[in-house]
Amino acid sequence: MILAHGIGGRQDLPIPLESAILGAVVALVVSFVVLILVTRAHGDQAPASRRSWRPAWVARLGRVVDSRGWTVALRGVGLLLFAFTVFIALFGRDTANNPLFGIVYIWLWVGIVPFSLVLGPAWRLISPVRTIHAALSALRGSSEPMFTYPRRLGLWPAALGLLLFAWLELVYPNNNFVGPVRLWFAIYLAAMIVGGQLFGARFFERCDPFEVYSSLVAKLSVWGRDEQGRLVLRTPLGNLDTLQPTPGLVAVVSTLFGTIVYDSFRDSTPWLQLKQGDFITEHNLGYTLDNVALVAFPLAVGVFYCLGTMLTGVGHIERRQLPGHLAPSLVPIIVGYIFAHYLSYFWEGGQATLRQASDPLGNGSDWFGTSDMTVNYFFAYHATLLADIKVLGVVVGHVLGVWSAHIRAMQVLPRKHLVTGQIPLLITMIGFTVGGLYLLFAS
Amino acid sequence: MRHSARLFAIVATLLGVVALTAACGSDSDTGSSGSTDGSTSPKVIQVTFSGKSVTPNGEVVQVARGQKVELDVKADAAGEIHVHSDPEQHKEYGAGTTHLSLGSFDVPGRIEVESHALEKTIVILEVK
Repeated sequence: MILAHGIGGRQDLPIPLESAILGAVVALVVSFVVLILVTRAHGDQAPASRRSWRPAWVARLGRVVDSRGWTVALRGVGLLLFAFTVFIALFGRDTANNPLFGIVYIWLWVGIVPFSLVLGPAWRLISPVRTIHAALSALRGSSEPMFTYPRRLGLWPAALGLLLFAWLELVYPNNNFVGPVRLWFAIYLAAMIVGGQLFGARFFERCDPFEVYSSLVAKLSVWGRDEQGRLVLRTPLGNLDTLQPTPGLVAVVSTLFGTIVYDSFRDSTPWLQLKQGDFITEHNLGYTLDNVALVAFPLAVGVFYCLGTMLTGVGHIERRQLPGHLAPSLVPIIVGYIFAHYLSYFWEGGQATLRQASDPLGNGSDWFGTSDMTVNYFFAYHATLLADIKVLGVVVGHVLGVWSAHIRAMQVLPRKHLVTGQIPLLITMIGFTVGGLYLLFAS
Repeated sequence: MRHSARLFAIVATLLGVVALTAACGSDSDTGSSGSTDGSTSPKVIQVTFSGKSVTPNGEVVQVARGQKVELDVKADAAGEIHVHSDPEQHKEYGAGTTHLSLGSFDVPGRIEVESHALEKTIVILEVK
């Protein structure tokens, strides 16, 4: 997160070594406690984890959020935010103080995670591309898609979209100029509008990187839908268990985790010294190296994960299907790490963006009354507290991940291989968590 | 069901232990941040540019809060140094020896000091 952008660029202090070790030890212990308890579980009751509740207030809430008025109101909010962003992208000054960067890199990209975690799949409700699609379909007089979306393509386009956004944010050197950001989003809009018209609204579920990201994180919220599509409550793990294996799901998950790990890694001294070393400098390979690393990290995550899951199973399920079936267990690990990685950045950068947004054209105006607010640096001044929260986030994510893997393993692995079969996956997950903690410590 | 209740209890206990340990640890450092009066001597960092390379090359330098940071720049060509503090700073230097003062930093964190032309991180200031 170099992201100068007038949002400073000061980054968090590394977490203390003791916290990192403590977190790693807890992750290790919890993993094996969960695993050992599996052996002691008796009876083959399939976990009733997908159970849902629908008390009266949830039923009432469901009627409100599914009402036409509410849906239209949220679309309106989304369109207003979209219009504001387009306005500053077209007419704002090309300086670091343009709120465009904060809106795109912080409010949207980082904000997707907390909003979806608390509110459920929020992006699809305000998604401007969905609203534009609905308007176009109304104009055309038909929402009938021209083609059926190919099943085998699955979430692969979204994985590509996420990688391309990560490239803009982390690798592309001119990502703090208005032009490139505007171009990226123009291409995104065009792709979404054309895709939506060709394949119908289902296209967004599969191909809009932001919607896929949001819906994935929302699987850890308490909000779900039952078979009739009614709003219900679930435990986060039960909700996560409703995530169906889809082609490309592993790619999406690996891309999210891999790019964010690269983001941490690229600021570490060993990487800087390699990249800035004589050989790389002399041959002008720095930019190439960044591009290679951006692709290599997700690939490595994906390979390790597939290896871990495919070594895992023995039974009636084909090995090739195991990564997809067990993919939900990676989601909490990723969200835990994203939380740790972005917490202070979202807090400080989010405020700084609110301040800039009030004076979008840089002419001294104050649209929202926030142009002279001071940014609260709570987390920077409480570095130890921040470090503890980060470690706790990573460890909680790991525990939920292991637990979720256990729930899935009960469903897909034969009983006699339940324990031995889970060990490779468990080792992979411990590897990811300890690696994440190491990066929080080392850079 | 009892199985998962027990699992939950064990996990909750472990997390509780972590939270407690962490909470105990967090008391220690808040008291020691009293040395922010800037009375400590400034941190002087020697920076040498030669061609496309620069020393130091991406190293971490510890700085106390409120401690002044100065760069002694020796360069074969003029250039600009970019400090990712809040607000950001741009410092120009000429060929030969230049003495740059970056002032002191109050908010703890990591601040990258970059060479603009070379697109290289010279040092990372760790302010605490």
